[in-house]
Amino acid sequence: MKCVLEGNGVKAFGKAIHALSRIGEDLWLDPMVKGLALRSVNVAHSAYSCFLFSPLFFQHYSLGSASEQGNETIKCKLVMKSVLPLFRCLTSIERSVERCQISLSASSDQVIIQFFCRHGITKTHNLRFQESEALQAVFASHLCPNVVKAPARLLGDMVMHFPASQEEITLSMTPLRVSLRNYYEGGNDHMRTMYTEMSLHPDEFDYFQVGMESDITFCLKELRGFLSFAESHCLPVSVHFGAAGKPVCFSMEDMVLEATVVLATLIDSENSGPSQPTGTPVSSPRCADAAALTVVSHGADSTKPQDTPAVTELIASSQGSPIIKPPALIQLLPQTDNPDGLGVPGEACAGATTTPASTTICSLLFRALSSEQDDDGCAARLPVLACYSDTEEDMEGDYTRSPSL
Amino acid sequence: MLECQNGNQAVVEETSLLMIFVTFNLSIIALFALPSLCQPNILVTCLHFSATMPLSTQSQADEEQYVFVASLDNARNLSNILKAITFKDHAIFSATPNGLKVTVEDSKCLQANAFIQADIFQEFTIREDLVGFQVNLTVLLDCLNIFGGSTVPGVSTALRMCYKGYGYPLTLFLEEGGVVTVCKINTQEPEEPIDFEFCSSNVTNKVILQSESLKEPFSELDMTSEVLQITMSPSQPYFRLSTFGNSGNAHYDYPKDSDMVELFKCTKTQTNRYKMSLLKPSTKALALSCKVSVRTDSRGFLSLQYLVRNDDGQICFVEYYCCPDEEVE
Repeated sequence: MKCVLEGNGVKAFGKAIHALSRIGEDLWLDPMVKGLALRSVNVAHSAYSCFLFSPLFFQHYSLGSASEQGNETIKCKLVMKSVLPLFRCLTSIERSVERCQISLSASSDQVIIQFFCRHGITKTHNLRFQESEALQAVFASHLCPNVVKAPARLLGDMVMHFPASQEEITLSMTPLRVSLRNYYEGGNDHMRTMYTEMSLHPDEFDYFQVGMESDITFCLKELRGFLSFAESHCLPVSVHFGAAGKPVCFSMEDMVLEATVVLATLIDSENSGPSQPTGTPVSSPRCADAAALTVVSHGADSTKPQDTPAVTELIASSQGSPIIKPPALIQLLPQTDNPDGLGVPGEACAGATTTPASTTICSLLFRALSSEQDDDGCAARLPVLACYSDTEEDMEGDYTRSPSL
Repeated sequence: MLECQNGNQAVVEETSLLMIFVTFNLSIIALFALPSLCQPNILVTCLHFSATMPLSTQSQADEEQYVFVASLDNARNLSNILKAITFKDHAIFSATPNGLKVTVEDSKCLQANAFIQADIFQEFTIREDLVGFQVNLTVLLDCLNIFGGSTVPGVSTALRMCYKGYGYPLTLFLEEGGVVTVCKINTQEPEEPIDFEFCSSNVTNKVILQSESLKEPFSELDMTSEVLQITMSPSQPYFRLSTFGNSGNAHYDYPKDSDMVELFKCTKTQTNRYKMSLLKPSTKALALSCKVSVRTDSRGFLSLQYLVRNDDGQICFVEYYCCPDEEVE
């Protein structure tokens, strides 16, 4: 594959890489007939982003001769840390770079990114990549009951009110209003947190469709880069979502590019089905915790709230799951109906992560990623909310199905 | 022991605690402590109270004792250029009737020199052919910036640097807005600067570039690369900087006909590698400069010469000499 970008295209490409760097540590480059796709996914598999640049975006775009490529498409995975510095300073790129050429061939294991700058100066970067399975989350956004569309500026103004350190926010939708508020786990810090909530009337949006009232909580940090890109291109952003627990999809497009971010949302236990986890084999500590949590909440029906020792006994189950700290349990007990937003992940298992949000983000977006993933066994048995598709035809088909508003 | 009298000198003999007394309107005494300069036996500072005694009115007797005196209306003309070579603590000062040369060396492989010609100074008096001493450069820079280094236009620190000779400290008189500070910095026996034997007749390749074109590549050099490779050739790629890092390699090519290249004289193709850790400090000198000359000799030794314009538009030079890395192909 060889493609050439000129002038502002280089800056836009760099901005896309900045947005993708907020999501994950690896960057997938996928040259396809319909364009060059840049993708990234986070470690917990709860956030995915894709920027697809159509051939029209480039001054030159070729996939190489058929004999060269054969039937294989190159699936190339780069470390974000090695690509981001090349596009780090967008203002200096704007000032000095005239042309950028990206070459990728199946025969060598290197991506060659060349910048042709003013004064005849040339910068050539040869980056090693890894062969990797294609990464894609296909999300049937046309099936989502709730849709809003707004200029990026509006969404940017909405999230501006939340501090940069805010991890998650909750988006609520009713026929009368759309509101955003910050989300905090646990009740320990009630007195120390500042709550922010803002609401907008449906008229503020370019398009407003409410199929069902819902509150979804998702990670804001991963979205900011995407919104920044949309604002710089003055593109409207569409938001597709459903009930809590289903992923939310943010998308934007113009004639030469399409971009999406799909984020997992927290499952609200009030609304989840009464699925019993007893049959679920658990192999990761996370799932064990979850199972233990569920056991506790059912056990609480029959035990008095103050009966802490009995509850602790329940936790030390034959599965050998780790003992949960008492304060969390005590909170659970009097509120069996509303365990404070903690997920009842009867149907999900978060990957091995360290962020508090991810431990309770309960939906997996997709299943198969590169074979190096040390995914737990339970991942394979869980319902997949966004299907991973292996063949290119399927992928193309799915893309054409995604609605453009 | 302290004696404070209006307009007279007070001597602080304590070396473990530095105290500065500042007199405003000759009647208010304020006491400040500067813990950062508390280095026993390295710095002795004495203070001079004066709102009415400018730097120039020193006793005639003092004048005759000094073997080297240099004055600047704006101390930044010295401190800025010294910052470009401050990658080690100690510097060798060599003063000749032509001017002042300050040398810093690293592991016998790298040498940086800053040249400030005599005519840059408002006063430059030297009683010997060569006056040499060694001081702690970090301490010297702290003293030159003792008034906080504010960039209010029209306000600058005036400097008078005096040296009585072997065994005596370097005395700095600094004045800003009517307030005077006197600093005495202990000196050491000057080491002999390494002679890299780099002479013009041995130069094989020389390129002069506008610094602007090098600043960005230098600041974004892949630091995971242990070496910086410089290729100079009469044919393609003409002038190339290369790094070999963890994720891959990078090349910066400058064609000989680029308008950033002022001079291009290459006689043969040479590729040399230099330790990145040695050359990275030169980025500071590059940032200050407007032009840089890159020369290599037949042994692969590198000479970088930077043309620096100071606040008043006068020209000073900084140069770096570097040995090639052992594994030259």
